[in-house]
Amino acid sequence: MDLSKRKNFYYIFSFIIVMIIAGRLVQLQLINPEKFDKDAERNSVKTIITTPARGLIFDRNGKLLVDNKPSYSVTVVKKEFDTNNINVVCNLLGIEADYMRSELRKIEGTNRFIPTRIQRDVDFRIISFIEENRELLKGIDYSIDPIRLYPTDFRGSHTIGYTKEISESMLKKQQGDYYKQGDLIGTTGLEAGYENYLRGEKGFEFILQDNKGREVGPLNDGKNDVKAISGYDLILSVDAEVQKFAEKLLEGRTGGIVAIDPSNGEIICMVSKPDYDLNNFSGKLKPEIWTALNTDKNKPLFNRATQTRYPPGSTYKMVSALASLQEGILKTNSTIPCEGSFRFGDKVFGDHGAFGSITIPTAIEHSSNVFFYKLVLRIGLDNWNKYGQMLGFGHKTGIDIPEETKGLLPSTEYYNKRYGPKGWTEGYVVSLGIGQGELGVSPLQMALYTSILSNSGTFNQPHLVRSLKNPVTGEITPVQYKKHEVAIDKDYFKVIQKGMYLVVNGNGTARSIRTSDVSIAGKTGTAQNPHGQDHSWFIAYAPADDPKIAICVMVENAGFGATVAAPIAQRIILRYLLGLQDESEVKDSFGER
Amino acid sequence: MQAKVFERFNFVVFLSAFALISIGLVAIYSATFGNDLVSGNFTKQLISASIGIVLVLAIMFTPPKYLSMSSYVIYGLVMILLIAVIILGKKIKGQTSWFSVAGFGVQPSEFAKVATVMALAFFLSNKNKEADVTKLRDFMYAVAICLVPVALIMLQPDMGTTLVFLFLLLPVLYWAGMPNYIMFFIVAPAITAVCAFLGTWYFVAAVVFIIAMMMVFKKNILVSAIVVCIAIASGFSVNMIYNKLQPYQQKRIQSMFDPESDPLGAGYNVIQSKIAIGSGGLSGKGFLQGTQTQLKYIPEQWTDFIFCMVGEEFGFVGSIAVVLLFLILIWQTIHIAFICKNQFLSICCIGFATIFSFHILINLGMIMGIMPVIGIPLPFMSYGVSFLLSNLIMLGIILNAYRNRKEYV
Repeated sequence: MDLSKRKNFYYIFSFIIVMIIAGRLVQLQLINPEKFDKDAERNSVKTIITTPARGLIFDRNGKLLVDNKPSYSVTVVKKEFDTNNINVVCNLLGIEADYMRSELRKIEGTNRFIPTRIQRDVDFRIISFIEENRELLKGIDYSIDPIRLYPTDFRGSHTIGYTKEISESMLKKQQGDYYKQGDLIGTTGLEAGYENYLRGEKGFEFILQDNKGREVGPLNDGKNDVKAISGYDLILSVDAEVQKFAEKLLEGRTGGIVAIDPSNGEIICMVSKPDYDLNNFSGKLKPEIWTALNTDKNKPLFNRATQTRYPPGSTYKMVSALASLQEGILKTNSTIPCEGSFRFGDKVFGDHGAFGSITIPTAIEHSSNVFFYKLVLRIGLDNWNKYGQMLGFGHKTGIDIPEETKGLLPSTEYYNKRYGPKGWTEGYVVSLGIGQGELGVSPLQMALYTSILSNSGTFNQPHLVRSLKNPVTGEITPVQYKKHEVAIDKDYFKVIQKGMYLVVNGNGTARSIRTSDVSIAGKTGTAQNPHGQDHSWFIAYAPADDPKIAICVMVENAGFGATVAAPIAQRIILRYLLGLQDESEVKDSFGER
Repeated sequence: MQAKVFERFNFVVFLSAFALISIGLVAIYSATFGNDLVSGNFTKQLISASIGIVLVLAIMFTPPKYLSMSSYVIYGLVMILLIAVIILGKKIKGQTSWFSVAGFGVQPSEFAKVATVMALAFFLSNKNKEADVTKLRDFMYAVAICLVPVALIMLQPDMGTTLVFLFLLLPVLYWAGMPNYIMFFIVAPAITAVCAFLGTWYFVAAVVFIIAMMMVFKKNILVSAIVVCIAIASGFSVNMIYNKLQPYQQKRIQSMFDPESDPLGAGYNVIQSKIAIGSGGLSGKGFLQGTQTQLKYIPEQWTDFIFCMVGEEFGFVGSIAVVLLFLILIWQTIHIAFICKNQFLSICCIGFATIFSFHILINLGMIMGIMPVIGIPLPFMSYGVSFLLSNLIMLGIILNAYRNRKEYV
């Protein structure tokens, strides 16, 4: 028997066995150990995400407008949660089992291993129960999350805005993976506009857990932990006192107010009524409140200061005036005869008086309609549109909150598209001359326009935030905004300003708000409303010779601009410039007019 | 004097086994660290190892004649123990394989491996009876020596251990002179059975391979045809049997081959052990630093899954060292089998080398996910008093073979 041959067979055979094992070792340990590292980590390391405190919001004088307070959220780790306990948990939290199941179903991918919030802002009683029944409620835990606190006595609902739990579609659309199910995200107002600054950086704590899910201790003595960093604080240009005052003046009415500093575009106050209580959105938003807000026929969620699109009425007349001057159609001293009515084709356009041959300032002072009917026909639709654009209409102003309308600035293309090239006549343009017809603007656009009129042609991008404060270094960074000169001669603005001065201080339509304290220049407007009472507009700036505030007040269904909107504007101007705050005065004056 | 010690004592075998036991102790220490229920296992293993070394030396110095003469007696005693354990043993996890003796668990099936190899070796080397494995009667007799413990252990039931007995038979018979072609006749149905289970094309390839081999051996056409037929029949019968199984039984077999198909049941351990070894990387996470092992993701990791701890905490460097130590041990044992003139001891060595190889392949293959999940331990390293002692008895006989390699009797 040839044993030496057989011996080799055994050598080779055992060698093959060892090589199979060694090969597998190479494959597992050397080729991609990272994959297994991750798996091992996922097994044994519990990641706790700590939510950073959102940045605070201060007014221009350093008054705290939006703060944070701690609240408890109940979380679930899907991987560990025993669905047999679903009823216990739902009873505890007072939620429907179906809701909980759908929430669990939404948890996918990496979320299976990290706690996902299922209920916010729960009672401490519930937290105690969870603490006492850890063994029973495996996978259920709680976290302390900061939620919003509003220490001020005004609302600022539309300006500050609210945060909501991120929706499924937003989660899918997000770039990167910052947001997880159950996270809050700024949804409207400044909370949305500055979401990336306000949200801060999440923190991560890594905790070792054994195969039963018991915490063993921090991973690597906590050296890998990342501390949450609070978001940037916002320092607003808004004046809390003026904001509060303006809200009171508009209380009980429907409309919007925007006041801007013409020298830099800073918004002093911005009000939209009716509004809502932001406290409803802090913590958990009750579904019934959300439904009520959405179905309310007064649309409290709608920001009337930036999103309405009404015709501005006579407040728009200065656009035509500037266009005619800049285009050389009128000279500063040119006159147009105003007979009291205007016939165009077979249609007669009325006026509220016959003023004779008048110059631009006088036409503005008395708000002559005939003057502007005639003028707009001489300017033509294209020029009218062009100057509207230059003065901030037909496009967004660039304010730093997302809710904003472009408005509607009709043009030749617009009419061609809407009625067909032969389907409309110049008669359509006549109405535009006095700010009626299809023209649609927002109070914000009007305030910006007023600020450009008052500062003789400087466009300052309107904004709410002055600067951002770094929460760690305390460093304050001013935010840069756009600024440019409108291509209209400064001298022509003087003509307009003279007219607007006369509106209040001459024999004009808003002479009722004249006051010896401050010289106010303004313009009334009444927007025809086919659905009911006319909307009342008033734009103004003051002091007339050195404007510090430009304001637009729009009150829905309030009739003439002079009766409701103008006094409100006047009180806000006085409040801002002189600190006068007798609101009863405003109410009394309504009665007189 | 020194030269004389080397002449009589095989340091290579002894030291590699000693190193493996030491690494095993370190691993058991780490695997049971902080686990109050099993923290005594390290001490128990240390005591067994110390007693075992004495046993190794005692066996080494025993005259070979006494060893061979007592083979049948030992075999008989162990078989009685196997019967007794079924009646009297403790039932742990559905298996009745343990006696409790003075706080130490005794597992007769481990000693049965040694006893069976010795009985086989004694039968095949018995010059008086002129055993000839090529004769059917003697072949069947050898098969019977293996099948008795297989039958008894199946009653426990412990399928993993029975496989060891079935697999050690062929290498032992081959060493005892079984011709190549008969070896192939025996192996052929097993090859087709496994291939048939893997899939139709594997099965076809296996049949083609067997027909080709039959042509190489150039045996009588009738014999060849019978061999091929039996092989094909075994392939079909495997699938027939599989299809007749209950779904839960099928699932169990499936998860043996594909652990991922049952990640929370039978597959769980393997998934976790792969993670443990894989995450060890080149140099490991450090002693007592493995998250998989320290946080107890692998159940009973001090027994069958002990290598996880080496893989995770000592990485590729530690793992490959262990594997190489095993290779040295096995090759040296084969070498001793070759140079040993005493046929009884020589066959014993081959039997033991086979047992070691089989355990390593199945155990390491299983925990690294390339072998079915069959619970058998890793020689010298897994915790288990009986297992360690039976390994050390084998070591003693191997050293004895080296010491007496020049003597025929």
